[in-house]
This record gives sequence, structure tokens and C-alpha cells, in this order.
Amino acid sequence: MLSETRNGEIKIVGVTKRFGDMAAVSDLNLTIPDKGYCCLLGPSGCGKTTILRMIAGHDTPTTGEIRIGGEAVTGLSPVQRGTAMMFQSYALFPHRSVLDNVAFSLKLRGSGKAERHRQARDLLAKVRMERFADRLPAQLSGGQQQRVALARALITNPRVLLLDEPLSALDEYLRLRMRGELRRVQKDLGITFIHVTHTQLEAIAVADLVVVMAQGRIEQAASAREIFTAPRNAYVARFMGGQNVLTGIVESVVDGHAIVAGDDGARLSIAVDKERLVKGSRLVGSIRRDRVSVSKAEDGATPSNEVNALLGEVHAIEYQGSYVKVTLRRPAGEEFVANVFDEDFFRDALDIGDRVHARWSARDVLILEDTHDAGEASMSEAAEALL
Amino acid sequence: MLAAEGGRPWTFYAFAAFFALFVLFLYGPMMVIYILSFQGPSGGMTFPLNGVSLHWFDALISQTRVGDIAGSFQRSIGLAVAAAIVTVVLSVVAALGFRRRFRGSAFAFYLAIASLIMPGLFVGLGIALTFRLLGLGTDWYTSGLGAQLTWTLPFGLLIMFAVLGRFNRSYEEAATDLGATSWQRLREVTLPMLLPGIIGVALFGFTLSYDEIARTALTAGSANTLPLEIWAMTTTVTSPALYAIGAVTTVVSFIVIGVALISIAVIQRRRTRGTGEPI
Repeated sequence: MLSETRNGEIKIVGVTKRFGDMAAVSDLNLTIPDKGYCCLLGPSGCGKTTILRMIAGHDTPTTGEIRIGGEAVTGLSPVQRGTAMMFQSYALFPHRSVLDNVAFSLKLRGSGKAERHRQARDLLAKVRMERFADRLPAQLSGGQQQRVALARALITNPRVLLLDEPLSALDEYLRLRMRGELRRVQKDLGITFIHVTHTQLEAIAVADLVVVMAQGRIEQAASAREIFTAPRNAYVARFMGGQNVLTGIVESVVDGHAIVAGDDGARLSIAVDKERLVKGSRLVGSIRRDRVSVSKAEDGATPSNEVNALLGEVHAIEYQGSYVKVTLRRPAGEEFVANVFDEDFFRDALDIGDRVHARWSARDVLILEDTHDAGEASMSEAAEALL
Repeated sequence: MLAAEGGRPWTFYAFAAFFALFVLFLYGPMMVIYILSFQGPSGGMTFPLNGVSLHWFDALISQTRVGDIAGSFQRSIGLAVAAAIVTVVLSVVAALGFRRRFRGSAFAFYLAIASLIMPGLFVGLGIALTFRLLGLGTDWYTSGLGAQLTWTLPFGLLIMFAVLGRFNRSYEEAATDLGATSWQRLREVTLPMLLPGIIGVALFGFTLSYDEIARTALTAGSANTLPLEIWAMTTTVTSPALYAIGAVTTVVSFIVIGVALISIAVIQRRRTRGTGEPI
């Protein structure tokens, strides 16, 4: 059996998966390090579950290769691959007790009843479910079922655990608790976890490596912090939700600072060191929402020539606990969001309909990759994907 | 027309009246037959009851008076069990196979289902003729069984398709993931989970076969099945023994249906409540 080696590094090399005429995954390359926690993140239909199923062996790539621990796994069974999968609906066998669900894999391998029940009880104890060993799955809550599913997958002693939207069936409170628990289990066991989700905050909370996907392609694969603070392109910036995206034309480049005339009338000043920006070229940039400050504008204020500022009308105010999300609308351009620290907000609280100035500093503006491929098309695609 | 404030719409009364008629037509005559089957030894085929007795049930056993009831009953039960078994095996296997679409699968499906709309008497006639042409004798357990399967199999297939349509593939994938071979997967996961549906198919196969006449009439050979025997008797037997037969066969049907429903209920309850302590 291949899984003698415990190396759980996964390499996806040029993998394409077609269902009929539709490519669910196109020419995808990705390396997930051994003992890493990787989240595949994207809207539904982006191909993330297809990748998971191909790693598990439940789907076969149309072209390309998947390697686990350095060896190609095409044609091998899940057990031979050393992978185990936790299904979205958990897929606990309804006609077997919790104990027999967990012991199922050992039963298939001909292990005796006493021995397999002993091992299953050990694992149930690890997920704190030993009290429920004699119950049937239908008698358990969603969170309990998930723990049993986890124990059942782990009893095969996998080097890679694949989790298909593991938290989507739980309520918010349990979801937050279980995601911490998953991370803890992964650290304890020291195996590779691949976790599919469509929830941004879930991905960046647990993963070492976040892979943002859209339409069968990887938009960015990086650490959670990098994905959030330094998105590569407008799609990632919009999808992760921590950034405002602005587009414009470069007016001048002076002293390592580019002045950009925004399409919506705002003017940006951006620090450019290594970027090659030409006067007259298009630029797509992003500004972190939590680095924007807002202040009330006096009556009759008109858009000024001031750089890194814009004038807008408060369209929505959402209290988020530690900060307040203020959404601005302007005559031109998309919505602009400022996440204001709660103390700052309540010092001079705003109302819906107020006209405000939003300001930020040049160093909080990022130049996105779309600048270079002048991606009008890909931008609107990204916007559509978000809707 | 509008209903008065707070009253029921007129459609309610229309359907209620229709339903009452339906119940009356279905159970009224049956009740008359059951009551008359307890007719006294000197009573006739109509009311009034001339005393109450089990005389006509007793008469069923003595072959000379009312034909071969015991023999035809045994044949019918045997035939129904055989039809149920074959229907279950074939429709489960076929429905599992049909989940993988193959070239011409839709055509094959319609070809199988089409036998539901064929006139049964002619299906039976055709089968009987074919057997004769091939030089094979018609018998209830050969041509008769085959003719009944043209009736029970399409029903079994339709039920299994519906059952499998709601069956989540991830249970089977989970079994594969945990190391099951395809045979282990079938035995340990798929079949146990489909069991209520399979019992339903068996029940259908049994009852459809048990009272089938049209297809069986010309294919059963020289020995009658129970419905054929009863059919023959309606013209020759002129005593309440006929009603006794009706009562007995109905009881058998109810027993079969009861056993099937109870076993399905037991399986479902074990899955939802189980044997563990209450939550």
C-alpha cells in the first residue's frame, strides 16, 4: 500500500476536469504542504468541491495528475491514497449505531468485533462522543453528528483529511466552536487538512493556506493574512470583502507617487516603487476598509481636488461590535465602505443620508494585478460572480 | 360561487360527497359479502341471514363441493411469492444499473414500462401462443409466472427508480472512502438503506400477482390459480361458500399488507429512535 509513507503533501499538476462540455476545473496547479491546513474558498460552482473529490479519488481528472507524498495516485482507491473524506451531509449510515459507524472501516478489513469496538471507542473519546456510542445518527444533533463523522474518517489513519463544507450544516454558534476544534485536531494529529468552504471568515480563521477560486481557476493562493490585506486582483479584493476597489487613469508619475484620476471623480495618490506605470494607462487599486476615516461634510460641499478622498452619502450603517460598517453611495462608481472603529464612530455618530468625506493615506492603497491586464472583462465577471 | 364567511368552499362538499360514494362502493358490497359468508347452513345467497355459522368456511375444505380451493390457494401463494422475489431482485438490480446512464437507457426504460399499457388479456394470449408454438406446455409456474412478471416488473422498476432518486450517493461514496469493495458497499450500506423500498416492491409484486386474472387466465395451464378458480365458481357455485372464499382471501391480503407495513414501520423507527436512551 502506498500510504506507508506518511507524507501528506499534495501536488495538483495541470489538472482539468470536464463534465460534458463544461470545465469545472481548468489547468489547475497547486501545492499543499505536508501537515498544512488548506482552505479552498469560492462561490458555489467554482470547482472547489471537484478538486476535493479528485484528491479523494471519487472523481478522476480529465487531464493532469494528482500526487500525494510525491507519488501519482491516479487509479488508486481512497484507502490506498491514505485520504479520508468528511462529507457535507456527514453521510453517517442511518442503520448503524454511532459505534458501528466509526468501526465500519475496521469491520471491512476483517478486524474482530471486540478489537474494532475498542478502537472506535478510543476515537469517540477523542471527539468527546463516547457517551453516545449506542445511539443512532438520527438521535444526534448536527454538531454531534459532525464529531462522529470526524471520528469515522480518522479511524482509517489517513495522511490527508478532506472536509467538504464541514460547518455549513451547523448554526452560527456551533460553527465558530467547531472550526476552532477542527484546527486543534489538525495540529494534534499533524496531518494535512483540506477544507472546502464558501465563507471567507471561516477560511481565514483556520487555514495556513487559503486558495481563492473562481470559475475553475485559482485567483490567489496565499496565507490568510496576505489574502486579506494584499489581494492580488480585484476579484479577490471584492470577494474577501476587506477592500474597496477603485479604477482610474494614471495622470502623472512624480517622485515615486502616481496621481490617478478615478473613473468616479475621486483622485488617488499612490506610492509606486517598482510598478511601471505609464501616464494615461489604466489602474485598478484597492483600499482597506478599516483604513478609511469618515467625517461629516459641511452643507453644500462639492467634490474637491483633494487626493485620497471622496465625497459620498451614507447609505447604510451596520454595527458589528468592535467596528461600524458605513456604506457610502456616490453618483458615480460602486459603493464604498469604511469600517470605522466603534469609539471613533460614536464620538460623532452618522446618520443615513449624511454627506461625508472619506479619507485614506497613500500607503494603504494597493495596486492590483488587473492594472496590467486592463481587465475590464474580468472585472465585470468578478462583479457578477459576487452577485 | 363564494363561500360564506368562515365556511368551507363548495368544492369541499363536492369532494366529500364524492369520497363518501367512493367508500360506499368500495366497502359496502364487500361488507355484505363478509356478513353473508357467516350464513347459516340452510341459508341462501342473499339476505336475510338464516342463522349464523361457520358452515361455508368448512365447506371450502371439502373439495367436492366447491372446487379446488385449497390447491389453487397454494398455487397462488407460491406464484405470488415467486413473482415478488423475481420482481425485487430484477428491479433493484436494474434500478441500480440505470443510475449510470448508458446508450439507449431511456429507450430500454420506456420499453419496460410500456407493458403497463398493453392489454393484459392479449399479453397472456400472446405468451400462451408462443409457448404452444415452441412446443412447451403452459403451466402456472412457467408461462403463468412470466405473464405475471410483465405486470409486476414495471411497477417494481418504477418504485425502485423513485426510491433511488431520493437516495444520496454520498452514503456509497463514504463506504468506498472507508475502504469498502463494491460488493461490501452493496451489502453493508446500499441494500440495508433501501430495505423499506425493497419491502414495498415485494408487497406490490405479491399483491399484484395474487389477484391477477387477465394475464394469467390463458397462461396458467390446467391448474387454476385462486382468482381463476373463484372466477370459474361465480358461474357454477350457488352457495354462500363463494362469500366465504371472498372473506378468506381478503384476510390473507390484509395479513400480507399488515406484515409489510409493520416491518417498514419497525425499520424506520429503529432509525429515528433506536434503542439508546432518550435524548
